[in-house]
Amino acid sequence: MTENPNSKIKTIGIPTEEEIRQAQIDFSPRCTSAGRVNDKESQKIVRYILNFARKHSLFVLAYGTGCGAIEIPATMTSRYDAERFGIRGAATPRQADILMITGYLSTKTLKRVIRVYEQMQDPKYVLAFGSCTINGGMYHDSYNTIKALDRYIPVDVYIAGCMPRPESVIKGFMKLQELIQNGNAGNGECYRKNLDWYRANQQKVIKNWDFPDAYNW
Amino acid sequence: MNNLENIIHKIKAAFHLEAQQKRDNQLRVDVDKNLVSSVLLYLKNQLGFIHLNHISCVDWIEDNQFELVYIIWNPQTKLTVMLHTRIDRENPEMENIDTIWDQAHTYEREMREMYGIEFPGLEAPKEFILEDWSGIPPMRRDFDTKKYAQETYQTRPGRENARDVREELMKRSGEELPDFAKKYSRD
Repeated sequence: MTENPNSKIKTIGIPTEEEIRQAQIDFSPRCTSAGRVNDKESQKIVRYILNFARKHSLFVLAYGTGCGAIEIPATMTSRYDAERFGIRGAATPRQADILMITGYLSTKTLKRVIRVYEQMQDPKYVLAFGSCTINGGMYHDSYNTIKALDRYIPVDVYIAGCMPRPESVIKGFMKLQELIQNGNAGNGECYRKNLDWYRANQQKVIKNWDFPDAYNW
Repeated sequence: MNNLENIIHKIKAAFHLEAQQKRDNQLRVDVDKNLVSSVLLYLKNQLGFIHLNHISCVDWIEDNQFELVYIIWNPQTKLTVMLHTRIDRENPEMENIDTIWDQAHTYEREMREMYGIEFPGLEAPKEFILEDWSGIPPMRRDFDTKKYAQETYQTRPGRENARDVREELMKRSGEELPDFAKKYSRD
């Protein structure tokens, strides 16, 4: 990790609140839905209907990277029956709306996840699952897993837990539906705009970089 | 007839090796590096230890040595033999035994990647689990995992002033932290 010259963070000792705030500013990901004002009144009627339709047909590409993948069958099958919310599986990245990252990501799988994310078509949403994607979880000191997913691809909703139960997974989906309806979800455009920032972070971790130069889909 | 003692005598007669009994069904044999394959072949063909459970590696950084442990099992008598051997840590090289057991191939590939032990004649791609790894193999004890993780992967801020729950409770009640708990302290 290269140090930010403007950062006031010391590495030793307990930092003050000011330093923590500065660290959060340095760290904060580029694509967030926080700043957007896009509620029902400000939307055109077509966009409102589009968002309504999108939120009820979520095709999920469950990329089973970690142990969290075991919760997906329970969520999809008859007891919790996620299909009543319009949530169902998609076969390929091109057909999917949601990329679901279930659990820890090693550097090896991160490379594949980025390729998969870039191949998905807009509008695309990312649902990160489990504490490993948030801060590394129990792999916080591993030599081979990343610790904060939103540095590498934009994330719409995080579901906390180790592991999150199907109830929390469905709650996360409902939060995403709410964001979609308000027009606050979907960061594909923001990712393209801030591609340099994301590429720099990705290349710090992925040593042998063999991605195509242009990202034009 | 005691099966284990019989095996101890047979190993002693064939190789002049002292086998120690560790448990009711477990033997330990310390072998020179060059003798490993012949002892394994003898145990497999003559004494019925036909199953290779595991090959593991121990990093004895103080002795500048690696220890390889071959764990083999006899399904008829339910006995286990652990074959220990020490190899040099500077130029670690060990005989390839995937002609005796096919599954040794996987363990040898893993040890080559995680400890940097070379197995001449092992026909496999260089990479097994890790990808684009440069630097010292990660399972060696001189590899500082925590330092590497902190340098390479960015940590989400916000938990820097997190306190140890045990210490906080001890301070509140005015007690001393017991010695065994001090090594887990955050400070």
